Amino acid sequence: MLGKQLKQTRTTTLFILMICAFVVMSIFLPGKFLTLSNFQSMSSQIPEFGLLAIAIMLAMLTGGIDLSVVSTANLAGVGAALILTGSLFPQLGGYGEGLVVIMAILFALAVSLLCGLVNGFLIAYIGAPAILATLGTMSIFSGIAIVITKGYGIAGFPESFLFIGSGTIFSIPMPLIIFIICTLVMALVLDRTSLGFNLYMLGSNPVAARFSGINNRGILIRTYMLSGLYSGLASIIMISRANSIRPGYGSAYLLQAILVCVLGGVDPSGGYGSISGLVLGIIMLQILQSGFNILAFSPFSKNVIWGLMLILVMVLNFYSSSFSKKPKKLKIQ
Amino acid sequence: MMTNNKNFRIQRIFAQNESYLLLIIIAYSIFVTFLNPSFLSPGNLFNLSKSSASMGVLAIGVFVVLLSGGIDISFTAIAISGQYIAVNVLIASGVDNIFFAFLISCLVGVGLGAINGLLVSYFKIPTLIVTLGTLNVFHGLLLTVVGTKAVNSAQLPDCFKAFGATNVFTLTGPDGVNYGLSIFTVIFITVALLTWFILKYTMLGRGIYAIGGDVEAAERAGLNVARIKFFIYCYVGILAGIAGIIHVSLIRYSNPTYLVGTELSVIAPVVLGGTRITGGVGTVIGTILGVAMITLLNNSLILIGLSSFWQEFFTGLIVAISVSLSSYQSRRSVAI
Repeated sequence: MLGKQLKQTRTTTLFILMICAFVVMSIFLPGKFLTLSNFQSMSSQIPEFGLLAIAIMLAMLTGGIDLSVVSTANLAGVGAALILTGSLFPQLGGYGEGLVVIMAILFALAVSLLCGLVNGFLIAYIGAPAILATLGTMSIFSGIAIVITKGYGIAGFPESFLFIGSGTIFSIPMPLIIFIICTLVMALVLDRTSLGFNLYMLGSNPVAARFSGINNRGILIRTYMLSGLYSGLASIIMISRANSIRPGYGSAYLLQAILVCVLGGVDPSGGYGSISGLVLGIIMLQILQSGFNILAFSPFSKNVIWGLMLILVMVLNFYSSSFSKKPKKLKIQ
Repeated sequence: MMTNNKNFRIQRIFAQNESYLLLIIIAYSIFVTFLNPSFLSPGNLFNLSKSSASMGVLAIGVFVVLLSGGIDISFTAIAISGQYIAVNVLIASGVDNIFFAFLISCLVGVGLGAINGLLVSYFKIPTLIVTLGTLNVFHGLLLTVVGTKAVNSAQLPDCFKAFGATNVFTLTGPDGVNYGLSIFTVIFITVALLTWFILKYTMLGRGIYAIGGDVEAAERAGLNVARIKFFIYCYVGILAGIAGIIHVSLIRYSNPTYLVGTELSVIAPVVLGGTRITGGVGTVIGTILGVAMITLLNNSLILIGLSSFWQEFFTGLIVAISVSLSSYQSRRSVAI
């Protein structure tokens, strides 16, 4: 009961903070922040690292972390790009553009699922700590991407594929629609399925989960595969928006995605965190980011602000958790 | 009785991770020498030990952090901050002295390390999150406040170049080329010995092992966990400062965007050397062997005819394999 209340107040605090950031930006940047084009550009940037943040959040819920999300996205993107440009399976071109695009998307998702499977296997069956296993696979996946492309970029995709990244439906950007669908699906998975329930259980206490008959290994494998899948989805939006792929693309998203998770109330030691908190964190970060862009901040000072925010949020969490724990200790005494 | 003791000792040697690593290094060296005989020349070996010294000093720092059950990924930002600030101060003040450079770089290192230490020991934030944050803060501040302009070889104070060329002893090869033991290698060995001494013979060092094994048990045994953690991050800062100066003396060029992004290639040899990321297990010798292995690998890929594109892939592969092996072993030993 107390835990639920605390979780709710944290989400409410986040919501108020978000509104504050929004109001401050609107007042101090009149005529620049509150424009349709700014909102369109904001909402086309959110999905890329939003999906990566969901991928990291899944790993964090089990008490692990997935550092390989960006590398997975890179490798999946390279895979899709090879099919789209006809370097891989050129015979597909004979069946029309539509099939090529669909095959490219499916191939990217398959690659990302495979990457997730490798992570899951190392963590669940070999017992490697998540941070080290994904640190290793991070290099392996981006290493493979570098070896395939020889460090060069691949560019020039079919017109119909670019619609995913830059098209709009009723002036709503396509990436945002994909992101909303993916978010809703993940919220359903976490709240309404046994996988979601077991995932939270495993994250808060793996030993208790094991003794209550949960197949920990199976859950871990599925979690990291889901995490890989969401990285793959992010990569499709990413390469379609940029109309190119280069190994190392989007490496700055890793810190931002972890930051968003922590900001959104996901506990790095596992068991706590919700999609709604994460989405609020993403929107807040994006409001600040586009504000900085309008103010023409240097990219380095942005790094400083992200880092400071990450630490600040953790320090605040420290105080709020020590505050909520105090009455408990008194009772025991 | 005597033979029993001897057998036991041999068994112990073979049970150690380091022995396997040493065997692999020897086998791999023979393999590379077979393909390219120039590999095992004394000149090449001295060169390898010189160029890997800055990575080695950083790795010793990472090793101490991992031993305590934490992780530090901000050390590259600390090293480049120490290096770039020291170079700029030396140019601005006109003092051309390598000891002054070391002093400034180490002071910067201790200061930044203390920030990490404070956040980790007082606020009890997970170390990965702290250092991920400070990595960006330190590097971002360096680039916005101090500057982004690289200092090239002509502008670099002479003491760095002189220091980089200093050899403890010099030999002349049969082909008339001079080679020798660089001062960098001596610094690396000194740092390794000092760390080994601290870990083995001081209360502080035993405390680092203890909190890596079990924080709660260490606390109940009366160790001041917060103070030990604070020391660890300051120590990493100093080592990063030393490594920063070695790095600039080696490449004779100071670019504030260098080093950051190579965290994995320093953590990899430490993990490879048998240090467990959960803390409490690991040796200095293992770390040195890990550094040797990664250096060998990075320098021999071209010698055996593979393009440098494979470097990142192989580093990751080696980390994944060594992590898997040690996790699998520890899981099996628990089961028994």
